[in-house]
Amino acid sequence: MTEMLTALADAAALPTVSSALLLSMLLAPVAGAVAVTVSRKKRAAEVATAASASLMLVLAVALIGAVISEKRISAFGELFYLDSFGAVVLLPIAGVGFISSLYSISYMGRQYEHDLIDDRRIIRYYQGFNIFLLTMLFVPVSNNMGTMWVAIEATTLVSVLLIMLYTKESAIEAAWKYLIIATVGLSFALFGTVFFYYANVTAGADPESAMNWTGMVANSKLLDPNIIKVAFVFVLVGLGTKAGLAPMHTWLPDAHSEAPTPVSALLSGVLLNCSIYGILRFHIITSGTLGAEFSSQLLMLLGVVSVGIAAASIYFQKDMKRMLAYSSVEHMGIVAVAVGFGGFFGIYGALLHIINHAIAKPLMFFASGSISHKYETKAMSEIRGIIKSMPVTGALFLIGGLAIVGMPPFNIFVSEFLILSSGFGSGQFLPSALVMAFLVVIFAGFMRHLVRMVFGSPKEPGKRLPAGMAKEDEGRLAVVPMVILAGLVVVLGFYVPQPLQELAGDVAQIFGQGSVAVSPVEGGASG
Amino acid sequence: MTGLEILPADILTISSAGLLIATFGVVVRRGFADWLSAYRYQTIVLAGVTAVIAYYTGVWEIYVAAALTLVIKAVVIPRVLVRVTRKIKDEFKIEANPYVGLRLSVLISALLVALSYALTQQMLSSSSLDVVAMTCLPVSVSLFFIGLFVIVSRRMALNQVVGLLIIENGLFLFTTALTHGVSLVIEIGIFADILVGVVISAILLFRISQTFDTLDIGSLEKLRDD
Repeated sequence: MTEMLTALADAAALPTVSSALLLSMLLAPVAGAVAVTVSRKKRAAEVATAASASLMLVLAVALIGAVISEKRISAFGELFYLDSFGAVVLLPIAGVGFISSLYSISYMGRQYEHDLIDDRRIIRYYQGFNIFLLTMLFVPVSNNMGTMWVAIEATTLVSVLLIMLYTKESAIEAAWKYLIIATVGLSFALFGTVFFYYANVTAGADPESAMNWTGMVANSKLLDPNIIKVAFVFVLVGLGTKAGLAPMHTWLPDAHSEAPTPVSALLSGVLLNCSIYGILRFHIITSGTLGAEFSSQLLMLLGVVSVGIAAASIYFQKDMKRMLAYSSVEHMGIVAVAVGFGGFFGIYGALLHIINHAIAKPLMFFASGSISHKYETKAMSEIRGIIKSMPVTGALFLIGGLAIVGMPPFNIFVSEFLILSSGFGSGQFLPSALVMAFLVVIFAGFMRHLVRMVFGSPKEPGKRLPAGMAKEDEGRLAVVPMVILAGLVVVLGFYVPQPLQELAGDVAQIFGQGSVAVSPVEGGASG
Repeated sequence: MTGLEILPADILTISSAGLLIATFGVVVRRGFADWLSAYRYQTIVLAGVTAVIAYYTGVWEIYVAAALTLVIKAVVIPRVLVRVTRKIKDEFKIEANPYVGLRLSVLISALLVALSYALTQQMLSSSSLDVVAMTCLPVSVSLFFIGLFVIVSRRMALNQVVGLLIIENGLFLFTTALTHGVSLVIEIGIFADILVGVVISAILLFRISQTFDTLDIGSLEKLRDD
């Protein structure tokens, strides 16, 4: 009897622990938001947010460790589900969320000192920050595609509130455009999601679970191809809007450049991934039904257009944060193209690229936040000689910039190299060549701005620094997050850690056949 | 059941027409109060249609969805919008000079309805659809298209919110008619999103009217790349 009980407990132990991990990870930002609301003090809100974000990071890392060994985790029956693909998206949410909560203390503190923001608003900022993290966490752990849609729509609403924190004209305009365009876009996505559900139900799935991704993928061979075609186009247009894929990207440069800088880092580095993730989940189902070609070619098309539009906009850009925002359009385009190329290295490269971009872009936003505080402008023509006025920030900004344009030996070079070689290797010459050409333009444009800002000399002749500016970096709390990110940019440029390799390899399998073959218990539609 | 089968179908047809009429009410009017009452009328009819679908299919969750529609969308949302926009000047609530004139708008909307019927016939003819889906799907797609059209063809920010609400009604009808209700948890999530979205857009509307002294979105053009 006791033996049986222990055997049962053993069998149940691992899943129970991991589902408890999953639930407590979701609760961390809730606790943070509650603590901020109760305390109503700036200092307490900062501490509570940093504490809840670090708790979230620890739990997320433990959870990802569990996913590496168990391949999939579910909780509340099949409502929550986390596999290797979800884990790859979860990692930047937790990591950048944590780093951004540290940088917030310095950045928002500075805004507070300069009276750009009052006591009431700073509390609202930290409430919104925690809830924003919560809504993003829901995306990779939702098995139910309806719940995922609700979570993505919720991210829009919370981030609009965070942009509205400022009463500036430009912030209000950006918030309005973002709200309307993203909401209309997501209504397309909901249309598509319902179509997928309908196709699954008509294929004989149980209506109770027909909205679950696992169910759709298992059934994907049986779905009506005509419905799936329309459904995928709707989803691609809808979630593509939210992911900043051109030509639906028009709201993105406004929203990402007008948000408070720590939020810009989250929007660019993390939220875009969540939307791409949604598209790719449907791409896997669609590939199961129609074969990979249909959705891959659409992804490639949108991806190439995105990189192209970003290239033109970056070359002629005048505003530092807008340039970074367009660079996000570029990198999401690259991810879409990479998935379009497909194959092991296409998928592997895409996932690595998601993570690399999620490290390099927040670094750039943080540095640009400190720089625009110092120079009191975002206009790149006014910013000269950062390396002299802020030596540490300047150096970090340079590292981030070199990484963003894909220079070796930094991390983004690795993923871009993998992606392009998989493109040429699989015979996709035209899109690969186009992307490569656009990347050259982006390199030229970005470096032109970057070099002038970092090394250029100020307009006043004979002076090493602009008038009235001391040679001083921002406080430790601004520099430490950037140093951590820059360290990762360099390390990941030299080697990809074993766990990450394993995760990305598993995801490549999921793209191939719906689930990792190691545990064939439930099995996907085997390819 | 057999004796009643014809009756609900007729009700569905008639009330679907009611939905379309209400939508055209938004297209032909210039004032915010008129749009809001057209929207309210549309939503009440929608709740009725939903209840008929619930009766027809015997799924109790759809009754709940119908009740939620009535309470949240026909009562709460219009009230919230009226309350928040009370302080906004009346001149900002009138669509004096839309991008597309009203007469042309009616024509385009009519074409959109025709397009919706054509599209749904073509796409879903292969699969077996019941009476509910046959009647309601084209109407729901029409609402979606007309809502989109209202958003892109009007200058007043308030009108864009009304356009979004119409789109959302279309989506709701589409979902209910095609799937006979996805799970209630998701419906409630969607309702919560809409409610919060409307509240946020209302706050934003107020801020825009304060900061820019207009609600003409054509004059929001601070953010440019040059």
